[in-house]
Amino acid sequence: MTSAGRIGLVAWHVFKESVRDRVLYGIAGFAILLVASAFLIAQITAGQDVKIIKDLGLAVIELAGVLMAVVIGVGLVSREIDRRSIFALLAKPLPRWEFVVGKYCGLVLTLMVNVVGMTAVLYLFLFYAQSRIPIDSQAVLDSPVADPRLLLVVLMIGVELALLTAVALFFSTFSSSALLSIVFTLGLFVTGLLSADLRHFGDIVDVSPVVAWCVQAVGWAVPAFSAFDIKSQVVHGLDLPRGFVAGTLAYAALYVGALLVAAVSLFSRREFK
Amino acid sequence: MTSRVGPVAAVLLVAAGIIAAAGVLHARDTRAPLPPSQERLMYLRSGRVADRAFLTFDAVAADVYWMRAIQHYGRDRRSLRQDGRFDLLQPLLDLTTTLDPYFNIAYRFGAVFLAMDQPNGPGRPDQAIDLLLKGLEHSPERWQYAHDIGFVHYWYTGDFTAAASWFDRAAEMPDAPGWIRQVAAVTLVEGGDRAGARRILSELLTSATDDYIRNAAERSLQQVQALDAIDELTGLIGQYRERVGRLPSGWGDLVRARLLPGLPVDSTGTPFAYDPSTGVVSLGAGSSLLPLPRGLSAR
Amino acid sequence: MIAVRTEALTKDFSTGFWRPVPKRALDALSLDIPAGGVFGLLGPNGAGKSTTLKLLVDLLRPTSGRAELLGRPPGDTAARRRLGFLPENPTFYDHLTAEELLTYFAGLFGYTGTERRRRAAEALDRVGLSADRRRPIRGFSKGMVQRVGLAQALVNDPELVILDEPMSGLDPLGRRDVREMIAAIGAEGRTVLFSSHILSDAEDLCEHIAILAKGRLVAHGRVRDLTSDQVTGWRVVAVGGDEALYRRVVPGADVRALGGVRFQLDLPGDVRPEAIVAGLAAAGAALESVVPKRRSLEEVFVRALDGSGASDGNRGVMP
Repeated sequence: MTSAGRIGLVAWHVFKESVRDRVLYGIAGFAILLVASAFLIAQITAGQDVKIIKDLGLAVIELAGVLMAVVIGVGLVSREIDRRSIFALLAKPLPRWEFVVGKYCGLVLTLMVNVVGMTAVLYLFLFYAQSRIPIDSQAVLDSPVADPRLLLVVLMIGVELALLTAVALFFSTFSSSALLSIVFTLGLFVTGLLSADLRHFGDIVDVSPVVAWCVQAVGWAVPAFSAFDIKSQVVHGLDLPRGFVAGTLAYAALYVGALLVAAVSLFSRREFK
Repeated sequence: MTSRVGPVAAVLLVAAGIIAAAGVLHARDTRAPLPPSQERLMYLRSGRVADRAFLTFDAVAADVYWMRAIQHYGRDRRSLRQDGRFDLLQPLLDLTTTLDPYFNIAYRFGAVFLAMDQPNGPGRPDQAIDLLLKGLEHSPERWQYAHDIGFVHYWYTGDFTAAASWFDRAAEMPDAPGWIRQVAAVTLVEGGDRAGARRILSELLTSATDDYIRNAAERSLQQVQALDAIDELTGLIGQYRERVGRLPSGWGDLVRARLLPGLPVDSTGTPFAYDPSTGVVSLGAGSSLLPLPRGLSAR
Repeated sequence: MIAVRTEALTKDFSTGFWRPVPKRALDALSLDIPAGGVFGLLGPNGAGKSTTLKLLVDLLRPTSGRAELLGRPPGDTAARRRLGFLPENPTFYDHLTAEELLTYFAGLFGYTGTERRRRAAEALDRVGLSADRRRPIRGFSKGMVQRVGLAQALVNDPELVILDEPMSGLDPLGRRDVREMIAAIGAEGRTVLFSSHILSDAEDLCEHIAILAKGRLVAHGRVRDLTSDQVTGWRVVAVGGDEALYRRVVPGADVRALGGVRFQLDLPGDVRPEAIVAGLAAAGAALESVVPKRRSLEEVFVRALDGSGASDGNRGVMP
């Protein structure tokens, strides 16, 4: 059997395990509830109904995705190592790098399935809204109610989650505590969200050039989770600059690659007492 | 197979990957940047809803909105937009103070921002006064709010009677400093002329603890000094006219007539402007002391 | 043919966070394990048995020294195709059924389709889990989990099977089942290496053993050789008379009253029973039984542990 075959086998089993994981359903169910409540919230804000539904819906999908990526990404591998169910597996003719890559693919697959599911629910709500809002009102909106371009936003969210999963996997391959891994992953996520400000630190705050340079270097080095946010653009019906999507995908691919190399390298050296 | 790649090589590879990624990101942001967010939307305008939405984290939410207010003020002040300039300032300040009704700085600085004349601010002394009144509603004995309302009247609306009565009220409140009583009296008697203004401002310079208020007082004092200078210059022009029989054609004439030692400048170093056809002296067009406040143009 | 060879295999663990202190779990183990048959790795808890096995399957890396399985280094993928491993106190992916787990693992060896399912089914059948194969492992008893473990160790028809404490935590029935399975595997010509701190298992099952204590090899060789066929003494049970009588007839013997008129005599090593029979009959005592004493594995074990001189790491006895 080829590498790809074994990786696929590991990935498939990761997916199977997460499908049977109740935590996942909890998060997904909660997310769907929130998207539903977007209708209620839309009443409170002055006449921004459709925009609110889109904004809130996308935000919920992203947030739920983040939770899943972190909790499941860390939990899966940590649990395996903790409970030592990994021992029998590692004695098989499965190189360690294939194990790591297989785990990653399985986790990403799980996340994508969930994101697609939640997106479908969002679109259901949007189609319902579209049927209820009179046509002339719809004409003055920035973008169509059930806008297919929202899929672009979801794609970006998916790529963002793939990067986050790589971070979670990286931490859990060498950290001995699941809680610590979760804290680190979330910490890096928040830092990544603020990385744009860090990158321009010297322009905003008055500090010595050395300090500014250090902070800016950190801003460039951490995974830039804020770089995937095109929600505002799409919801307002604005165009994306040419090469934006391709550039973002390339960024994510390179960074994920680097993280996987690091994870594989660490995991290959790891010993199991 | 434990590791194909030695540890050093792995670290280099990872570092190279991250650097390459950063390079791609930089390229994307320079070649295909997203236009900066034109987002000027406030979802929450109702204080009541905000109160509920933020549960027990009202104080922190107030801080966040305060920061937004400051950023909004700063951003709009630096930008060239004319449409809807500073239009979110009052709602943001209102929300801040609803979430935290004792947020002292939000009331005082907020009023300063709101009252500031265009283009440096929205030029809404009425909103400034409303904000300070709200502060007084929750803290009826804070003499600073009453004093600030008096000041807004004095400086921006030109309603000296109202200013004096507010100074009076401030003087009645506990812990009010002694000089307020005097300011109230002076304002009442002299109806807001320059001497009174000079007195208030000098007191502010010595008593204010906040740099910003002190700097504002300094600037205002310089404006008053400029007005004094204009009066003096107008007097000199009159003297020249009496002596020579016509208006001077420029500052040079006055210098040659030994009425002036040199080119007259205001405290920012900008030369005063002189219109030879009318004989009117005014602040130089580029002077940062412009615009002059309403209530003080007249003697 | 050597199935497993180690040369001065050493493993240090560093304990303590602020000032790490190395603790030697395995000290220069040099051992040859012959192919075919059952080999027991014995020793008290903490002796280094698990450490040794984990070093062999690349779950741990040696601080110094080398190991070879089937002629290849640990972690070599080709060698692993011919290897089966059962970890200590195993847990497997609970959410899977026994069948799913076995099929998964079979897939990792490269089997596909029908063959994969067949091998999985066969392995489960072999360990007696055919009836429960569709149940999630989550609901299995300890004995059943152990059997799943054995099944997954055998699914690829391995030449070398390594079992870490396969009998631990099982009830007597479970232990007997596992013992029988190990014996059967060994009889098939495979090499079985298992660790245990229960001696009786080893005595019955193993041809060769090695004894570890505190990380060092203290004894190794054929069970037969170690326990020796040599008779070390005789135990005689006689009836009649009294203690004093026996002490007179057989000076130097260890006399014990068994109750009633029965007495047990442990003769010293150099005295043969024939020599005392006449004396006993003359004194009016009757002989009930005469049993030769041979050195048991337990004695070997205890003696080895007490002995201060640990093995200097010579290569084990060749068949």
